[in-house]
Amino acid sequence: MSTERTPLSDRELWQRLATDRSVAPAAVSDMDFAAWLEGRLPEAAAARIEAAVANDPAMLRAALDLADILGMALPAAPARIAVRAQALVGAGAARQTPRKSWLAGLFPAFGEGFRLQRGAMAGMAVAVAAVGFVLGGGLGETYVASRYVSTEASTIPKPFGSDTINELNDLFSDNT
Amino acid sequence: MTELGQIDLQSLAAGHKRTWDAFVVAASPLINAVVRRALASYRLSDDDVMDAAQDVFVRLCSNDFRLLKAYDPARAGLSTWLAVVSRSAAVDFARRRRQATAPLDDVPESVLAVEDRHVEKLKIPEGLLTERQTLILRCLYGEERDVAEVARLLKIDAQTVRSTHHKALLRLREHFKEGAP
Repeated sequence: MSTERTPLSDRELWQRLATDRSVAPAAVSDMDFAAWLEGRLPEAAAARIEAAVANDPAMLRAALDLADILGMALPAAPARIAVRAQALVGAGAARQTPRKSWLAGLFPAFGEGFRLQRGAMAGMAVAVAAVGFVLGGGLGETYVASRYVSTEASTIPKPFGSDTINELNDLFSDNT
Repeated sequence: MTELGQIDLQSLAAGHKRTWDAFVVAASPLINAVVRRALASYRLSDDDVMDAAQDVFVRLCSNDFRLLKAYDPARAGLSTWLAVVSRSAAVDFARRRRQATAPLDDVPESVLAVEDRHVEKLKIPEGLLTERQTLILRCLYGEERDVAEVARLLKIDAQTVRSTHHKALLRLREHFKEGAP
């Protein structure tokens, strides 16, 4: 009886490595996986991904499928896919650039925009109010005028009730 | 029609409607192809495939386009990254759908067999083969792919695949000769 073993085929040789030891698949990010598929990773990083792909059949199948798809001319997708996907981002949604008011247009250079614009607008409002108040005479004149009226009224003696009677007469009188 | 490479990524991530619409038109063929391929073994309906493709777009624009903002053009092309994201989304979709609608006993044996083929892991004696050699052997024998497919995956020429395969087998034969009783 011959003790010489029949040489194994390549496949059989590979299958002799079968064992019950399972290796937990390493986590690989989508970005790393994409970079590896394009051959953009340095050798050490690529080796890490290759080890992960070799140990995870699902990842290996994904890699083979994606390499195949990315290398071929793609058929057009059903129009329904695009129509539905386009509806996900609405035309009137908040993502549209908001229209500027004429006042906001005066502050185009503000990077922070809104807060600075609000502050500037509040400052302008205060300035306009202050100018108006000063042009109208300011606090001093208003005070003097009110003092004058009250002093004048208090120095001229009037009979009690005469003002009311005169006002009523004026009201019902036809004379102008 | 706008190509994927021509899409203004900043405008897209900012959520501008016109850019999004152009992106959808440019990306639909790729997403459709990847999703169909990923779901082929799950035997889902055409409507399910449409829903899975929609799921990819939802992922891309949800949470203020967070996923799209995570894309780094310096590391990989948009098409490749999008294909990877689409594949992950499609597999997640299929798992959810299968969990929701089909108890394990109802799944045909032939469908399960696709998964069963890979349940048993192959042990590679540590340090015996390089990662690339292991990967090539797994592609050729585990996945039964041809040399051209492996070359396309690894972005190397077919002759390099054959040579790497040959060196790996020499190492394995040497190992088994040493280990034989």
